[in-house]
Amino acid sequence: MDYLASAGVLIGIYIILAAGYNLIIGYGGLNTIAHPIFFALGAYTTALLAIGTGLPPVICIAAGIGVAVIASVFLAVTTLRISGDYLLIASLGFQLGLLQAINNLDFTGGPSGLSNIPVTLSGPARGWLYLMITAALALLVIWLVHRGMSGPFGRAVRAMRDDDVACAALGRGLFTMKVVIFAFGCGTAGLAGGMYAYYFQYISPEQFNVAQSATILTMVVLGGIGTIWGPVLGAFVLVALPQVITFLQLPSSLVGPLQGLIFTSLVILFLFLRPHGLVGTRTPGAAH
Amino acid sequence: MTDPVILLQILWTGIAMSSYFVLFTVAFALTLKVEKLWNFAQAGLMGIAFYTMFWSLNAAHWPTWAGIVASVLLTIGVTIGMEIWAIDVLRRRHSSGLIFFIFTLIFSQFVAFLLTLLFGTEPETIFPSVMSPVRIVSGIAVSDWDLQAVGLTAALLIALYLLIRFTRDGQFMLAVADNEKLSEIYGISARRAYILSGVISALLIVAGIWLYGTRAGVTPDVPVDLILTAVIATLIGGLGRVFSAGMVAVGLALLQSFSILFIASKWQGLLLYGILFFALLVFPRGIPAWRPRRIQPAPKPAAPVQAEG
Amino acid sequence: MTQEILRLENVCKRFGGIVVADDICLSLHAGDVLGLIGPNGAGKTTLFNLISGLIQPDAGRIYLQGHALTGPLHRRARAGVARTWQHMRLFRTMTVLENMLVGPRNYPGESLLRSMIGTPSVHRAEAAARDRAMHVLERMGLTNTASTIVVDLPFGQQKLVGLARALMNDGPCLLLDEPMAGVEGSNYETMQRIVRDEAAAGRAVCVVEHNVSFIKDLCTEAIFMSYGRILKRGSVDDLTRSRELTELYFGTADA
Repeated sequence: MDYLASAGVLIGIYIILAAGYNLIIGYGGLNTIAHPIFFALGAYTTALLAIGTGLPPVICIAAGIGVAVIASVFLAVTTLRISGDYLLIASLGFQLGLLQAINNLDFTGGPSGLSNIPVTLSGPARGWLYLMITAALALLVIWLVHRGMSGPFGRAVRAMRDDDVACAALGRGLFTMKVVIFAFGCGTAGLAGGMYAYYFQYISPEQFNVAQSATILTMVVLGGIGTIWGPVLGAFVLVALPQVITFLQLPSSLVGPLQGLIFTSLVILFLFLRPHGLVGTRTPGAAH
Repeated sequence: MTDPVILLQILWTGIAMSSYFVLFTVAFALTLKVEKLWNFAQAGLMGIAFYTMFWSLNAAHWPTWAGIVASVLLTIGVTIGMEIWAIDVLRRRHSSGLIFFIFTLIFSQFVAFLLTLLFGTEPETIFPSVMSPVRIVSGIAVSDWDLQAVGLTAALLIALYLLIRFTRDGQFMLAVADNEKLSEIYGISARRAYILSGVISALLIVAGIWLYGTRAGVTPDVPVDLILTAVIATLIGGLGRVFSAGMVAVGLALLQSFSILFIASKWQGLLLYGILFFALLVFPRGIPAWRPRRIQPAPKPAAPVQAEG
Repeated sequence: MTQEILRLENVCKRFGGIVVADDICLSLHAGDVLGLIGPNGAGKTTLFNLISGLIQPDAGRIYLQGHALTGPLHRRARAGVARTWQHMRLFRTMTVLENMLVGPRNYPGESLLRSMIGTPSVHRAEAAARDRAMHVLERMGLTNTASTIVVDLPFGQQKLVGLARALMNDGPCLLLDEPMAGVEGSNYETMQRIVRDEAAAGRAVCVVEHNVSFIKDLCTEAIFMSYGRILKRGSVDDLTRSRELTELYFGTADA
């Protein structure tokens, strides 16, 4: 049964990632795929603080969020002038460059990562406790995204996506809006990273590579980009379904690749059968 | 001061090592030029090409030529199949760039997982040994592999150049790259051009992975790293400039080779991504030469300058 | 003498070898409705783009109520330059009311955080903006279209929404780019009435328009532009009577 809780926590973390990323790419219209690096920054900051200082978890996670936000503002301010596909590639360069650094620095544990993250909650209910916290945080993020995008800020964001020049000519500062969206979305990735580090107690650079970018992007796009519940559903389906085979008692060397196969097959299937997302909007990227 | 012989050695080895980078880059740049497609699925093709050769030579014990033929056929087959049943479908739906990005990347991952399942994660090489005979030419070590790599790459690039320059299909490919709609009006099949560019890319990929796999170990994850290098070289070399992308690939390989004089080898990857990131910062809309060269229109008197399109 | 709202001093702009604004000097006062006429490509819309900040001049200065007007689009909109677009540029996925609510100079909920929490100040500002928007719509007879998605409206009404959205900006300077193109009947009347009212309320209005009769009905004065230069400023009748200008206009216009 602990296994179910573990899968639940993972789903919750991915929901946070997908919801935050959806804000950036679906509402903000910013084509970056560097989301996992902010996930990584949150996870590594939290883990390093937890290992090195023993500060309370809340503070460690807050620091993780902070680092993710700072890094995202740096990326946003330097690259938001870059248009379209090139922004995507630039963000990829940023992600892989930072990942290389994490991979080669000593204090991050290099390729083998950090495995001595202290236990914070213990006892038989640990899994369920984490599940509840993660679920609550996921709901909070969804709620905030929903509130943000249905209010006046969200209206300006939609206007920007429809016609950025007209929106700016009405007095809306697009650059600031984009940076704020980016920072918020990446901050939630930092939060997800903090939760991940505390729960799984092990992080390594390969968990945050291009494959992870593709995973989160896929959850958002296949779930329904620019909708509130689409990414949530996408994260749920794409994490939960591959988990099913863990019940088959297969050797562990098979489980990883098999899960990967299920995941990628699902993506390809959805891509061709449900091109407008599970929560189907006609035009991808439109909120209505 | 470093010994000039050492510098020359690094230069030569760097050039030889750049061979497969060049082939992958040209393959990537060609599909980008003709199909307007950031084809990350080429990583998957590399995996298919490599493991076909690996399996047919090491498990089925076929002769070398049969292994190569099998690899070429399968890689081209998958390319054409993907073009017809996937890329073309997405294209007709007017899918966004993101969808193409997801599809091509996920396809590569699918292949990587499949290969992991079939062959495991141990690094494999095409032949049991990656050593090749070395001769010393005026103090520089030149291996058979080096010569083969440089020769094969040069031959393929010349063949590609001749094909584009002097055959109808090559010219059609350029026409479609330049303006697909207009070409179709003139009776040029865009689809044929797409498939041709895919087939050529598949050939280059097989050649590239052959060179790579006879010199270093391949795991199912290696192709993704290789494709990223090709992406970087393509971006810096210039969209729509296939051969200059190839030149940049040589340059990047040399830069990496020479950088061992200054920085630890483990930071070379960072160097590459750093170059990519800063190249884009300086040229946020791509390197200036990316825009296809067109004859400047004669200045019209006071052309309407309006934001509206 | 009424208050001077907008002043352009020696504004120049070139694109490559093409001069699109050649030493433009212009003064606009509160209550003015200035027509801007000239052949296609004369630089009329470019002038609007220079004033509203979509493009920056190579030389020269622009003042709004005596203060230098600089910076990108959104700064100038907040400073009080409202404009419409020839092709409307409405937010096509949004309703009429939502389109308008993007427009106030002091926007409620510019901050994501406050918008998420929904602070009382955001609610107050939203309510005020809503009232204002409904009032503008009422003046235009568009009240019942408030919750229609804009692209579902007939063309003429979309044109009116474009104006209505610009009116949400209560700044002193209003730039209208071909407001009448494709507008007929009662919408035509409405457009005229609104522009007159806005001028009477103390705004300085500048109108680019091909429809000369609209300019005649509405404008106290007009300027004639060609090749990025102001050739003449005068009453509309003077301009249209000038043979040289008429030839320039109708001789080069493609329509």
